[in-house]
Amino acid sequence: MAAPDGIVLEGVSKTFRGRGKVVEALRDVSLACPSGSFTAIIGPSGCGKSTVMRIALGLETADSGSVRIAGEAPMEAARAGITGVAFQDAALLPWRSVRRNVEVPLEVLRRRPSDHAAEVAAMIGLVGLGGFENSLPGELSGGMRQRVAIARALVTHPQVLFMDEPFGALDQILRRQMNVELQRIWAETGSTALLVTHGIDEAVFLADRVVVMHAAPGRVVEVIDVPFERPRRPPLFSDPAFHRVCDHIAEVLHGG
Amino acid sequence: MAADRGSGWRGLRVAILILALWEVAGRFDLVAGGALPSVGEILVRLWQDRADYPLHVWATLYASAAGFVLGNLAGVAAGVVFALSTTALRIFRGVNIAIFALPPIAIAPILVLTLPGMAPRVALAALGVYFVTMTATVVGISQADSRAADLVRAYGGSRRDVLRLVEFRGALPVILAGLRIAAPNAVLGAILAEFGGGGRWGLGTYLLGSLGRGEPDRLWGIGVIATLIAGLSYAAFALLSRRFLGSARAVTLNTAVPAAQPDRGPLARRIVMSLATVALPFFLWWVFIKATGVPDLIAKTPAAVVDYLFFSPAAGAAQERLWAAMAQTLPITFLGMVAGLSFAFILAILSRLAPRAIEAFMPVALVTQTMPLVALTPLLVLILGRGTSLTLWVTISVTFFPAFVTLAQGIALVPRSAEELPRVYGASRWTEMRMVTIPASLPYLFAATRLTVPRALLGVMIAEWLATGRGLGNLLNQSRGYLDYAMIWTVAAVSVGLAVLFYQAVVMVERRVLGRLGMTTAE
Repeated sequence: MAAPDGIVLEGVSKTFRGRGKVVEALRDVSLACPSGSFTAIIGPSGCGKSTVMRIALGLETADSGSVRIAGEAPMEAARAGITGVAFQDAALLPWRSVRRNVEVPLEVLRRRPSDHAAEVAAMIGLVGLGGFENSLPGELSGGMRQRVAIARALVTHPQVLFMDEPFGALDQILRRQMNVELQRIWAETGSTALLVTHGIDEAVFLADRVVVMHAAPGRVVEVIDVPFERPRRPPLFSDPAFHRVCDHIAEVLHGG
Repeated sequence: MAADRGSGWRGLRVAILILALWEVAGRFDLVAGGALPSVGEILVRLWQDRADYPLHVWATLYASAAGFVLGNLAGVAAGVVFALSTTALRIFRGVNIAIFALPPIAIAPILVLTLPGMAPRVALAALGVYFVTMTATVVGISQADSRAADLVRAYGGSRRDVLRLVEFRGALPVILAGLRIAAPNAVLGAILAEFGGGGRWGLGTYLLGSLGRGEPDRLWGIGVIATLIAGLSYAAFALLSRRFLGSARAVTLNTAVPAAQPDRGPLARRIVMSLATVALPFFLWWVFIKATGVPDLIAKTPAAVVDYLFFSPAAGAAQERLWAAMAQTLPITFLGMVAGLSFAFILAILSRLAPRAIEAFMPVALVTQTMPLVALTPLLVLILGRGTSLTLWVTISVTFFPAFVTLAQGIALVPRSAEELPRVYGASRWTEMRMVTIPASLPYLFAATRLTVPRALLGVMIAEWLATGRGLGNLLNQSRGYLDYAMIWTVAAVSVGLAVLFYQAVVMVERRVLGRLGMTTAE
């Protein structure tokens, strides 16, 4: 069983109804992420992996089953400022500068941004955007925008960090750079991380455990431990042992 | 940018050409025996009348501006409420459709009867603004970045936080784009209320006073000034939103009354909601009368109108007059609308063949959109006389231009590749149009129809009121003279009811047809 401050889903089911169609998005999904661990969820499109995250965030409610984030209900955890989140597209507010975008979670949590100016600056520095504090999102590249989203996810010092394909829109080269940086940032903050991704190598490089899901109905088919030592370095991407793990995951993904 | 400038120059050349032709036609009295004065003659007359204008212009400006501010406040507030609560949106749908479809001239006399001083003008201007701004607010808020909204909610943000941080700010450009259409509407509303009576000053009053004197140059002068005010207000907000949006897209009125997702609740609940939707406009009518405290003799509640029309001793005569008026008004409205729409549809389809000619014509079409109907009608009276052809032409001209703009812009959105596909297989221009352009423009044809329903009825009623002495417009004007208060309220209610009925009929046909074709409604 996971420590009380991790992520725990037990027997979660969710069905969507609309326009005469019924989609069973999740059937009896259980997941336990210990405190301080890094878990990746991987699966084909429509397998419900994003739904798992939205339920854990309190954006959707499960039809049945229970969800605990650091021992609390999702919405309570969110209101207490325990969670941080980064989505697939950066979802920046185009009219706000980089700094003001990073401040959004603080404003929602009714914390005064001026009291946290040092942290905001530190997070922007951490993701390598020092000097761009007053730029508008429209003036940044895709990779820079995504890094703003990461800084925004970290600014509240979350105990639990959710990421839904945070680098999905980036090219392969930039993506690897970001993976290395994310690992460094995560190690510095010591939070419990849950990453939803399409990329097998990304999942293996970052996670302690990879959860493989299948679609129709969305369900967990296997949880694979990733044994590599930390900190992991870019050469790992070409290590044969790394590829063996990746191949195994690919087999499970394709119903092997 | 270069292309923009090019079309700008072309527009200027067309404008100069039109002015030159106008000057020649006016100088030599070529149109209807001098009913069309030359540009020079109009300017000279404007100069001679210069002492009259300031007070008239000021009165109209004051009422339009006050109505503009109030209407926008109400529109934004209502839009926010509707965006937050689908229940409110559902219950107010009837009210919203009525406000969109109502011919302002029909309720102008009512407002004059019930409200003091400048209030009727302000109210009518505000009504013209409310719908545009309310719709823009609802659309803007519902189009907001859902991911950004999720983000705020993921941090435990409330619905209010989402609205404050994401949606409202995101909706501002859409609202601003709506304001440029709302501004000329406010001017139109103010002038129409001046027709309803009361007050010495205002361009509408001036126009009405000058109409009987048969002085074309003065009427044209008033028309030019009214158009200038409306056009400048459009331009001012176009400039503002260009600054804000960084784009100069021409905007037309969004004619879809915002609708909530179909209710999937229990049947009983749905029935109650539908009844509330229909009943609410009548309830507000009743509340309005009680709130203004106008005596029963003058102000008629819904019940009083029903009583007058069906149970009073005068019911038979009243019904007869009403039927006679409707029999005169409706056919011509329908005919004018069909003619205006067909003309616009054919020209817009053909515009695909000669895009350059249309590009030059577009600025002219946009200017006429900001031209207040009321300024146009007297000018057409001068040219066409007071017969039925006048009504028809007024209706065609008020439906044609907005329909054309909506259609041309819609057809321009049809992807080139979709049109090129048949061509690759050797299709003729006609086949290409039949297979792609015409079906693809259907949603815009319906959007244009929804837009022109209230305009057509308004156009016909203005022509009847001012000139032809027939139909509902005339009955309304006549009843004012006879102090036949019950008939004033009846005609107003019937006109609004007819407009709503028309509108709903179009919406139903639209849903059926587009649903069968697997298309969605054009905004």
